Amino acid sequence: MMGRDAMAACMRWVWLAWLGLVPLAEADALDGALEVQSAFVSTTAGVYQLNAHIRYPNNDETAAALRDGVTLFYDLDLEVTRERRYWTNAMIVALSLRRELAYHSVSERYVVRDPLAPEQRTFATLVEALDYMGNVENWPILVAAQVPGSANYKVGVRASIHRGKLTDALRTLMFWSDDWQRTSEWYSWSLPR
Amino acid sequence: MVFMVVAALKRYRFAWTVAVAVVAVLAALFALSLSAQNSEQFSRLQPWILLASAIGVVVLSILLARKVLQLIAAYRANVAGSRLTVRTVTVFGTLVALPLLTVYLFSLEFLNRGIDSWFRVEIKQGLNDAVVLSRSALDLRMREFSSRTEAFARRLGDNPPASVAFELENELRASGASEIVLYGPYARILAATSRSVSDVLPSSPPEDLRRQVSNGRVYVSLDPVGESQYVIRTAAPLTARGLPDARFVLVVYELPRQFAELTDAVQRSYSQYGDLAALREPLKYSFRLTLTLVLLVTLLTAIYGAIYSAEVLFKPVQDLMAGTRAVAKGDFATRVPLTSRDEMGFLVQSFNDMTKRLRRAREETERSRLAVERERERLAIIMARLSTGVLTVDRDLVLRLANASAGAILGVDLVREVGRSLAEIGVSSDRLRQFVDELRARFTAGQDEWREQIEIGGEAGRSTATVLVCACVPLPAEDATPRSYVIVFDDVTNLLQAQRDAAWGEVARRLAHEIKNPLTPIQLSAERMRRKLLPGLNVADAEMVERSTHTIVQQVESMKQMVNDFSEYARAPSMHVANFDLNQLATEVADLYRSQGTLVTIDTVLDAGVTSIEADRGRIRQVLNNLLTNAFEALEQVQGARIELRTELAANEPLPAVWMTVLDNGPGFQRDLLARIFDPYVTSKPRGTGLGLAIVKKIVEDHGGRIEADNQPDGGARVRVMLPLKERQRTGAIRERRTELRRERA
Repeated sequence: MMGRDAMAACMRWVWLAWLGLVPLAEADALDGALEVQSAFVSTTAGVYQLNAHIRYPNNDETAAALRDGVTLFYDLDLEVTRERRYWTNAMIVALSLRRELAYHSVSERYVVRDPLAPEQRTFATLVEALDYMGNVENWPILVAAQVPGSANYKVGVRASIHRGKLTDALRTLMFWSDDWQRTSEWYSWSLPR
Repeated sequence: MVFMVVAALKRYRFAWTVAVAVVAVLAALFALSLSAQNSEQFSRLQPWILLASAIGVVVLSILLARKVLQLIAAYRANVAGSRLTVRTVTVFGTLVALPLLTVYLFSLEFLNRGIDSWFRVEIKQGLNDAVVLSRSALDLRMREFSSRTEAFARRLGDNPPASVAFELENELRASGASEIVLYGPYARILAATSRSVSDVLPSSPPEDLRRQVSNGRVYVSLDPVGESQYVIRTAAPLTARGLPDARFVLVVYELPRQFAELTDAVQRSYSQYGDLAALREPLKYSFRLTLTLVLLVTLLTAIYGAIYSAEVLFKPVQDLMAGTRAVAKGDFATRVPLTSRDEMGFLVQSFNDMTKRLRRAREETERSRLAVERERERLAIIMARLSTGVLTVDRDLVLRLANASAGAILGVDLVREVGRSLAEIGVSSDRLRQFVDELRARFTAGQDEWREQIEIGGEAGRSTATVLVCACVPLPAEDATPRSYVIVFDDVTNLLQAQRDAAWGEVARRLAHEIKNPLTPIQLSAERMRRKLLPGLNVADAEMVERSTHTIVQQVESMKQMVNDFSEYARAPSMHVANFDLNQLATEVADLYRSQGTLVTIDTVLDAGVTSIEADRGRIRQVLNNLLTNAFEALEQVQGARIELRTELAANEPLPAVWMTVLDNGPGFQRDLLARIFDPYVTSKPRGTGLGLAIVKKIVEDHGGRIEADNQPDGGARVRVMLPLKERQRTGAIRERRTELRRERA
């Protein structure tokens, strides 16, 4: 099923095609691979934990934008669904792990912080920061009580990047041309029991 | 009511569709502006806004494209009003497009310049300078701290392990650091001290720190650790007696609050500007796209509106043009729908009034034409029923009009020959040719109006001459129109014949009455004289008396015979009709004449199909006797005389009839007598009474038949008698002839 982001992207392309301005919209600041390379779920004391390795794009344009003060958000979306034969899958859990990446120009360090937590970590290089964000270890996602019975459960993970710290007005104005927005394919597998 | 609404919806279908499309686009834009107030709402509405906008604009584009194609097709097909519509749409479109494009271009320029002004180079440079200044200010302090840490590491490396904790405490107090940690191999914590009582475990050293100190170099960094919180981390490897050691010391200094806040402010400004500066081109691009979208939607709507308005505006004009074409083709029932009460409505109303008047005028004309047509048909019927022939010819005898009777009298179907010259038509008919000669003679003599009796003979050598009573009247001529003449003529042949027959009948009756009565006394007196005188006379006188009385008696007998003939001719028909075999009768009569020992050969050619006929047997026998007697008398001086008696069924008669023909090879009829051969006392024989053929003709006509006499091409006379086979036909024919006679007399 087409996701909301995909639908929005599709609609935007329809618009641009109608306006005859497709060539103007081809630039992509987040050029490069964005994929969930591997992921699995482990169980510890009845708690399911996600371990994943994500490959985030790293290019000169991204680095330059960060150095110029742009803040990027790196999201990891997770969905656990119960498979149904004659109907769409039932949603059990939908979580999102968000990290914010910025370049601190005075200290010349890359700062990775969780918007929901006070801690933050700094890195001397972008590669180190991306490696840090690309390795998710032991992220608790659900407990065994949430997945009872003998039903089949499916886990899906996807990564996405978008520009952060935009005011709503600016976001509206960027309606047509926000190329700082990428989403990977879903990486899905059955939840081991 | 519902039907009216449905009809209105159908009528304005395209207008409604366009309105819906425009409303969809406007609603999408409105939702876009609303969603700007709330990021979450925007995220939720974004695809639907895009979808609604796309649908609206696509529908609008399709409708406009369809309209434009229809307009082009109508223009190429020269549909009424299409050129006017195209011109109006072009003008309207240009009038709308020019200001729109002007506003669009000015807006683009204004936006570009405005957005560029937000991100001026001076601001960027100022922020960069502030960052550099901050960095320089902090570098001094960082170098100072790193030098102190390096010296402390050298000092610490030479101290015995037992005094390490003491040295760390001393250094913490002396340097003002917030935390000092001594790490051993593999970054194992050997000793640590901190100003904070809450920090149980020191933080692990960053990877780059470990990498750098493992290379024997001093490490220093400024780390943002929270909101307006910065630490300066310095690390240096320990050396024991000048040799590298696996241990290193990490000294953490907190940046003073004032420095931290200033640094934070600089960093925040730099970051915010960076975020905004990164938006410059996309922002301009978005503005261009939005403006272009608004321009296109407005332009499309305006052009569509122009087309629609032009169509609505010129619809009455198109209707008027279509109506005019229909009127030009003769359709006066055309009505142009009245759609408004303005000047155009007045024009439409006037047009409708005009077509109404035209229709009435045409209906009036049509009625007049029909009346004339009816009169003409009536006249044609009258003319067709007239037994009188009517012709209209011009001075050159070109036939303009003729009725059927004219053709019947003149022997040519003249109705079909209208438009041709009578002279040309007359080539095929002697009767018509003679008629034309009579007409031409009078026209040549300058006679325009005349009334005369004309006699035109039938074909050469036939007894059927026709007498016409003919009148000619010139028609009133219009200007520059050749003068025409109406010629009216009647065939009075039968009438004249009937008059002659009646006159002769009267003569015969009187003769019979006046002459027959004295004949018997004369005869008786002569016989008495002979009887009384003869005995007393001498031979010579007796002989003279005998001869005289004999002559008187003979002449009286002869006169009686003549008077009887007259009586026979004048006698009213007293028919004794019976069914008999005509061939048998013909054979009997022929045998009777053969038995008289004559030298004349009598042949009979009898049609076996002629079996029986309803007629007066005795009178038909008299017909045959008279005809054969005539033939015998004509053949008295002829060598090899021969008579042929024929019977045959009539093929071309309207009713079943038989032809009875007597032919001879004698001298034939005299041509000058042929036309009157059936009149009484017309004879070429010295001893004939001239009543034989007249009586024959009378008997034949009493039977409803017809008699003709002519000469054969190779010599000899021929008399043909036609007799109806049935009594009913005979009476019908007689009735028809009497009607004809009455008509002729009238």
